[in-house]
Amino acid sequence: MKSKKTAILAGVTAALAFGVVATLADQAYAKNDRFKKVLDRGELIVGVKADYKPWGFRDSSGKIVGMEVDMANDVAKALGVKLKLIPVQSSNRMQFLQQGKIDLMIATMSDKANRRKVVGITDPNYYTSGTNVLAKKGVVKNWDDLKGKPVCGKQGAFYNKQVTSRYGAKIVAFVGNAEAKQALRDGKCVAWVYDDSSIMADLASGQYNDYEMPMKTEDDTPWGLAVPLDEKDGIWGNFMSGITYNWHRTGRLIELEKKWGIQPTAYLQTMKKKFEAYQPK
Amino acid sequence: MDVLLPIARQQKAQAMTERLEGTFRLNLQPHHAIWMLLIFVFTVGAAQAQAPRELISPIDALVKWMPFILWGQEGTLNGFALNLMISFFAMLFGTIAGVTLGLMQISLLLPVRKGSWFVTQFFRNSPWLVLLFTIMLLFPFEIELGNMIIPVPDWMKAVIGFALPVMANISEVVRGAVRSLPTGQWESAESLAFSRRQTLWMIILPQCFKRMIPPWINWYCILAMATPLASIMGVEESVSYTAQAMNAEGDRPELLPVFYLFLLLIFFVYTYPIARWSIRLEKKFVVKT
Repeated sequence: MKSKKTAILAGVTAALAFGVVATLADQAYAKNDRFKKVLDRGELIVGVKADYKPWGFRDSSGKIVGMEVDMANDVAKALGVKLKLIPVQSSNRMQFLQQGKIDLMIATMSDKANRRKVVGITDPNYYTSGTNVLAKKGVVKNWDDLKGKPVCGKQGAFYNKQVTSRYGAKIVAFVGNAEAKQALRDGKCVAWVYDDSSIMADLASGQYNDYEMPMKTEDDTPWGLAVPLDEKDGIWGNFMSGITYNWHRTGRLIELEKKWGIQPTAYLQTMKKKFEAYQPK
Repeated sequence: MDVLLPIARQQKAQAMTERLEGTFRLNLQPHHAIWMLLIFVFTVGAAQAQAPRELISPIDALVKWMPFILWGQEGTLNGFALNLMISFFAMLFGTIAGVTLGLMQISLLLPVRKGSWFVTQFFRNSPWLVLLFTIMLLFPFEIELGNMIIPVPDWMKAVIGFALPVMANISEVVRGAVRSLPTGQWESAESLAFSRRQTLWMIILPQCFKRMIPPWINWYCILAMATPLASIMGVEESVSYTAQAMNAEGDRPELLPVFYLFLLLIFFVYTYPIARWSIRLEKKFVVKT
């Protein structure tokens, strides 16, 4: 019995060690192995959100659709391979990329300096989001209209402080966004302040047909798509930079924005103009 | 205080079984089912009344997403079906490993006995979520054997993560069942010149088998109800699918109770008959000592 157990233990240890070695080997890949692997496999595996309408969500048949899914489709088409989507969460998207479980991540991720050390976020950024408000149509027109008025917000959200210090709004803070939005519906405040991408998702959901997002978005934070860190300066990272450039130049992202009912973002317009300026007339 | 005596006796008897098996018992009664249904009907009714008229009603939304929550996209076995699949395989592997470990716990060799005792206690007393996290993060997503690449899907890792605590608990069930037999059985076998192996296989274990069935089923029920833990690790089972379905409907607050109670209901509908069956078996197999 004892020797049997030892054998089992040895087997398990070997399997674990093997697993660790396999993981390490993955991380030590030379720069272009991932790109080559995608072509060999004939399939591109992209991590997208499945719970963030309208960027990545499920249609009623269970298929993942959305703006970022369309972008992933464009990439697969450009490579001439099939597309496989893996739903990711904010908590595991960077790990999946590091492990090599996904080749590319387009998952509503804000571009932050500390994230650039972990995954290969390619330039230029494909989108931005910032502070804005949701209000009944015609109630407020610009940020200064908020002065002295009650504005609903989520407790602890950093948007609250900004509208108070900059525009003198009176914040009515709630535990969660559902409660804050309910208060807006009940007329307890003139607007609900939050991230514009989240407000757009609400507008797209059809629950807020009498509402609008009237302000010019402030404090834009760029969104980044990412490839594995050691692929960033290789073919794969440069390929993604190129495809993003073309998305901006041709207005593809603006077109997708429209398709998914997302309000036009100033950033995409600016980028289109900037890149078009370099084109011969 | 005479009136309390029957209850005290009942509690004591229950405590004794639970101590022997090292776990609590799912004691589902018919009235539990009635309560469940009442809560579901009332909550759905309230949510239905609350919902804005111009949007899809919570019940219609639930009906629309029901296939997705139950098995996912057509032709796939995700959602609730994946919960069941994880529970079957985790139980299978957990039982095989657990019976082996349990028999090692009654070995005459001290190192084997102590070692298996330690393994049992370690996995029995570790939080399930911690074991699940460890396994899911430790195992690679694919294993390369030369030119062959064997993918290890997330749900398979979850199976291993769940099989470990099940193994440890089944190990205790086996040990407890053997211990629960009167020592006279061993002594008479010895006086009839049975070897230890013969005693174990031909006299002790056949008697234990019956006693192990009810706690084994009980553990299966606990495991089946624990499988949604895997949703935290991004496994595409019913709880993550429910959250995604609600998001697709615009994350409306009135959908929350309806969708989550539906989940509770399908788990209940699955577990209830099994738990009742285990109670019946227990009554049937009760051994007079």
